Amino acid sequence: MNECVLVVDDDREIVRAIALLLEKEGYRTLKAYDGMEALRVLSENEVQLIIMDVMMPKLDGLSAMMKIRERKNLPIIVLSAKTEDTDKILGLSMGADDYVAKPFNPQELAARVKSQLRRYTMLGGIHAQNEEEEIVNGRLCYRLKERTLYADGEPVKLTATETKIMELLMKNRGRIFPAEEIYERVWEEPSFSPENTVMVHIRHIREKIELNPKEPEYIKVVWGIGYKMEKK
Amino acid sequence: MDTKWKKSKVLLSYLAFVIGLTMMVTNMVPAVSMAAAFGTEIFQGPVDYQESEEFRYLISERLSDLLGVATGGKSYSSYDSGVTGVVEEAADAVGGPVTSVTIEDFGGNWDDYEAYLEEQQRYYEEILAETGYGYTDAYDTYSAYYYGYDYSDQESLDRYMADMAQNKNLRYAVIYQNKLLYSNIDGFEEKAGEEWAAADFYESLDKNAYNFTLWFNRSGDGKVEITKDGWQEDVYNETFGNGVYSENSRWRVPGYANYTIGESAKDAVIFLAAAKEPNLYLVKRDGSNQVTQYGGRLYHMQQNLDYLNSAAERIGVVMSTSILLLAIAFLMYKSRRQAAERIADFLQKVCLEIKLLLLLVLIVLLTGMGGGALGQLGWWMRNGMSYYNWSGDYIYEIARLTEAGGYLACWFWLIYLVVLDWRMNRGRQKTPVFELLKGKDFKYPIQKRLVKRQRRTLFAEIGLLLLFAAAICALWLLQGELINWLTGGYAYNYAYDGAYEAVAADLGYPFSMRWAYMLIAYVIFTALFVFTLITVISLKKNHRLAKDIGALTDQILAVREGNLTGELVLSEDTDLQEAADNLNQIQKGMETAVTERIKSERMKVDLVTNVSHDIKTPLTSIVSYVELLRQEENLPQHVKEYIQILGEKAERLRSIVQDVFEVSKATSGQLPIQMETLDMGKLLRQTMADMNDKIEESGLIMRTAIPDTPVPVLADGQRLYRVFQNLLQNALRYSLAGSRIYLALTEEDGQAVARIKNTSGVELADGKDFTERFVRGDESRTDGGSGLGLSIAKSFTEACGGKLTVETDADLFTVTVRFPMDGQGQAADL
Repeated sequence: MNECVLVVDDDREIVRAIALLLEKEGYRTLKAYDGMEALRVLSENEVQLIIMDVMMPKLDGLSAMMKIRERKNLPIIVLSAKTEDTDKILGLSMGADDYVAKPFNPQELAARVKSQLRRYTMLGGIHAQNEEEEIVNGRLCYRLKERTLYADGEPVKLTATETKIMELLMKNRGRIFPAEEIYERVWEEPSFSPENTVMVHIRHIREKIELNPKEPEYIKVVWGIGYKMEKK
Repeated sequence: MDTKWKKSKVLLSYLAFVIGLTMMVTNMVPAVSMAAAFGTEIFQGPVDYQESEEFRYLISERLSDLLGVATGGKSYSSYDSGVTGVVEEAADAVGGPVTSVTIEDFGGNWDDYEAYLEEQQRYYEEILAETGYGYTDAYDTYSAYYYGYDYSDQESLDRYMADMAQNKNLRYAVIYQNKLLYSNIDGFEEKAGEEWAAADFYESLDKNAYNFTLWFNRSGDGKVEITKDGWQEDVYNETFGNGVYSENSRWRVPGYANYTIGESAKDAVIFLAAAKEPNLYLVKRDGSNQVTQYGGRLYHMQQNLDYLNSAAERIGVVMSTSILLLAIAFLMYKSRRQAAERIADFLQKVCLEIKLLLLLVLIVLLTGMGGGALGQLGWWMRNGMSYYNWSGDYIYEIARLTEAGGYLACWFWLIYLVVLDWRMNRGRQKTPVFELLKGKDFKYPIQKRLVKRQRRTLFAEIGLLLLFAAAICALWLLQGELINWLTGGYAYNYAYDGAYEAVAADLGYPFSMRWAYMLIAYVIFTALFVFTLITVISLKKNHRLAKDIGALTDQILAVREGNLTGELVLSEDTDLQEAADNLNQIQKGMETAVTERIKSERMKVDLVTNVSHDIKTPLTSIVSYVELLRQEENLPQHVKEYIQILGEKAERLRSIVQDVFEVSKATSGQLPIQMETLDMGKLLRQTMADMNDKIEESGLIMRTAIPDTPVPVLADGQRLYRVFQNLLQNALRYSLAGSRIYLALTEEDGQAVARIKNTSGVELADGKDFTERFVRGDESRTDGGSGLGLSIAKSFTEACGGKLTVETDADLFTVTVRFPMDGQGQAADL
């Protein structure tokens, strides 16, 4: 199938490095060095995903993205040296599907590309299966009957306890659970200083579902209060 | 034993002081009055009544009376008639004046005197006819002659002389043209009408019983000879004077060079003898069951003097006792002062308001009760006791003066207590009511406070105004009662219309007391009215001023809180224009300074942002190509190691750039903070759970003491996590291998205090601020840290409203993080 990824950045070395990395993963790549060029390349080629820097000459990444969004619905991952939350929010609200801060971990970028493509190509059509039997949250999907968690459409191998935790969190997305409550509901026995136990399991789950376990997007710690599943 | 004696010494000295001083003050008044009236000899022993002025006056009057009898003229004396009291009583009943006049009062003009007496006589006849007073058997015939016996009427003269004869205190013999007319000397009574034959009447009297004799015209020279206890007196003061009558002469009798008698009197000879110890002579009249008293004048003269003597003696004893007691008190002045201090301490415990109220009540009570007595005192001081020499009122007057002295003592002790309290307790008075008024005030903004205060003054003034208006009305309505009360009942007997002026005149005041009170009330009323008017007029202006002050303080508050825009505009021509202008200037200056500082801060952040951006872009390439290299398969082992090192260093560079960025933002106050209530204990446990791997890797031992109960604080959880993450990382990184890290969370004075203690692996330099940027315990900078960990922890803590301090003690490294406890959040779902 060999999806085609368009890499846009005014730094040629970065474009080249990203292209090389992605080609090793088995993708086709196209390159552009400013917004205008990106639009031109896009009009001439079939592209499944765009990786685009924000600060570029001629036409910046955000403006280019707005123009692309007028016609196309393909996933766009924004790259930026700006790491502020406000920058991220701005990028995401203007149509980006993901936001990766520079300097990024090349493997994380590859994982994000894979995740976005998978959702775009595979889940796009077969989305509405049976809503009562599954809980969808961003990249994650928990099927109640199967008691299985899917990430980007692929089943995640979880232990029984991990599954129980995920079921609790997926069912109550956005709600904050103190460690005691998680412990009591999953282990079904009174807790005593459960912080460590719960944390160990959460760390393991993160490693399995998060693209970058060090900066988790789904299972978050609410410091001083508890844990929660971010609602996507 | 010793302390007991000391205690009783204190008590004794003070008791001596109080009793001594009270006795002295109380008795001072009668003592001074008596000394003024009678001279100091009254205190020195029994006084002979014959030495009194009153006695001399009586004798001279009696002489002139008997001269009238001898010459068949008129006499105007009423001595020992026994009728006096009755007539006076009758006169009193109709409010008429009782006057005693002599011919001297008419400048010696006999005709005028006679006319006056006749008028008086008619007047009294009318009175007696109206009232029916005094008409009992013995008196009726001559009671009307009180103011002038007509001795030409032989019958009435005989009755008068018969009456007079009953007074055995005074023996007499009246001789005219060598014929004995009247005498009450034993053995001569029957000899009336016989030749006198120059007999010495004194020979037939008991010389011990009658020690005073007077002869008039014994040798036909018209002069008076007086002997007392056998000694002849120099009546006309011829030894030292010139025999001329003057005001200072002791005896007012005929015989002076300027006081001679008429022709008819030259044929008269009078003998008088006075008893040494006068008695009362009571005689029962025929056909009546009434007893008439004779000789009372001399008897009471002696009695009064005796009473005064004993009173003086008593006062003397009291005064010397009081002096003794005071001497004791002053000798023990140290103990006395201790007692005074103790009393002051007691007074201090009573709050000022109650004391003032008590003082007011006591003043009113003392004025009401003692006002009359003290008012009398002033009058007394002017007129002296001599005024009362003629009556027997000494007993009453001394009692009254002692009473006045008692009130004076009360006043004295009241003032003493006030002075004591003021002197000893100044500045430490308890004033709960005033405090309440003061404390209440602070709840309101200043302009309201000022207006309230002014309004309070206005209300007080209006209240006083009304009070005085009421007082004036009351004075009009209750005239008599009020005056009576204020003068302590003195005016009671004068409680007829228009009598106050008489009282006032009598008391020696220039005008009526009522008018005085009214005038004072009017003056105070007018003054209060003027004050109230001024307050009302200035009310509006002060309102505006209060408003301006309020605006000014509000503006100052706004400036303090950082609101620098908006100029302060006050009302026109305000008193505070200068202050407002100055404040506006300060505000402007501050605004400029703040703008400039913000600008420079922003530039700094911009610089850091740009620099970090510029570093990040090449860093991205480095990281990416290192990754590509890592994926190259056919590389020799040592190249792979190099690539590994490149990867690690690139990662560290990335984290340093990120830290620099964050710390610069935090210190410039541009870090977005989301404050929420969270449990610090839970946060610490979560942080440790999160770092569990690193803790286990380090080989160090964690010792934690975190309470199970929630420790709520208000902070940004994400930032606070970074704080403790950094602190723990620090501890893990720099601790001595195998040592322990102590993490404790406690509550201290409403603060949540987290302490992390660890033993440093390297020696810590003394006096180094570890929270400074790029400062590290290890100077060689070869470890993995950026040197920003503590700096970030500190700036994040402060951004969340907490405090981070670092202490070092030898190798012991202690970081303390303090946050104020969040009371409201305690019940929240933690």
